[in-house]
Amino acid sequence: MLTYEPDDTLAHRLDPRSKLGIQIGFAATALAHTSPRALATLTVLTAVILAVARVRPLRTLYAYRFALVLLAIAPIVAAITFGPPWIDLEDGLASAQAGYRVLLILLVSAAYVRSTPVRESRAAIQRTIPGKPGQVLGIGVALVVRFLPVLQADLRTIREAIAARLGTERGALERTTTIGLLGLTRAFDRADRLSLALRARCFAWNPTLPSLSFASRDVPALGLAVVLALSALL
Amino acid sequence: METERSSAELVDDAVVGQFARAALLAALLGAVAPVAIPLPLSPAPITLQVLFVFLAGLLLGPVWGSVSILLYLVAGAIGLPVFSGMTGGLGVLVGETGGYLWSYPIAAALIGALVHRGTDLRDPADVSTPFLVAVLVAATILIYGMGTAYMAWLLELEAWEAVTVGALPFVPGELLKMAAAIAIVKRGVVAPLRS
Repeated sequence: MLTYEPDDTLAHRLDPRSKLGIQIGFAATALAHTSPRALATLTVLTAVILAVARVRPLRTLYAYRFALVLLAIAPIVAAITFGPPWIDLEDGLASAQAGYRVLLILLVSAAYVRSTPVRESRAAIQRTIPGKPGQVLGIGVALVVRFLPVLQADLRTIREAIAARLGTERGALERTTTIGLLGLTRAFDRADRLSLALRARCFAWNPTLPSLSFASRDVPALGLAVVLALSALL
Repeated sequence: METERSSAELVDDAVVGQFARAALLAALLGAVAPVAIPLPLSPAPITLQVLFVFLAGLLLGPVWGSVSILLYLVAGAIGLPVFSGMTGGLGVLVGETGGYLWSYPIAAALIGALVHRGTDLRDPADVSTPFLVAVLVAATILIYGMGTAYMAWLLELEAWEAVTVGALPFVPGELLKMAAAIAIVKRGVVAPLRS
């Protein structure tokens, strides 16, 4: 599974905002160009980014395997035509090139995921988006991170209990309704207890933000982000 | 260490309640990502994410329903494994399924606005079933419309090709999720918080 791994690479030391900038710039220019030359340049850049963040490409590709299935099917579907000549290679090739850039975007975002702990991403969100929307997103994401394993355990319990009562033999509608209703009831019970706890602790709109600062090594990274974003307009 | 020196601006009680539910529903959306229920005669198993997008609109209303889905998208964008196949990362939001993901907050807002007729919440158990069906069908069309349109543009497919890959296999599952969403709100066990 793709996740943050503690390390001491250049990517780990960069400010999360510079890394987000590079990702957005990369995605913008990759979505704007599908020519073989542009794809070759972007491939080299992706390889450099992966090396800097010490991402293992094969493991990352395996993590994204479900997305890759669709990227592999699309060119085949695009190439099939009704009526002679049945297979239109040019259409298939265009779709394959378009799918390849998606693969590059996924790999670049894997570099961010490996090199950025959640608390830094949260700080970046709260410092970039001003006012209450930024607070709601920042605190909300922190709560999602906190409760994701809890709710995963809830769902596991629910599914084991259903299986123990031979619920897996029942129809798809009944199973969906049961899992949905039980999962939702438990989540909302937890939410109502959480909101009581938040109010008891004077939950405020203006808490102290986690510290975060740009350093001199962020300048080239931000420059790269700007160049990438501008190259989308070429 | 920086400290905030201005006086604390407390969050309203009503807002805290809705915010906590929105955050937990976002976490639930992520937690159900690996759950897949096989469906007879269909190549695509049912994943429960769209069910909870429906429930976000029905139970949290247009504002907090879409906030909840946005929290889910942001959590996924910073790398939590919450998207289908337990993946995360900003790349997934612009990848081939990005259109579906971006349509979720809009669909939740649409459902909330139509069912609650504004931002004051009412219990969806009191809304007539045909109306709920119509609202959920509209939301599903929106989700698949945006999802396949973006996929067609991104992968340079023709419209019918994108529909074949990205919508038709999922139709039986969607019908089932609509039935499940309506059954859940009609049961009346979970009701929206009313201020």
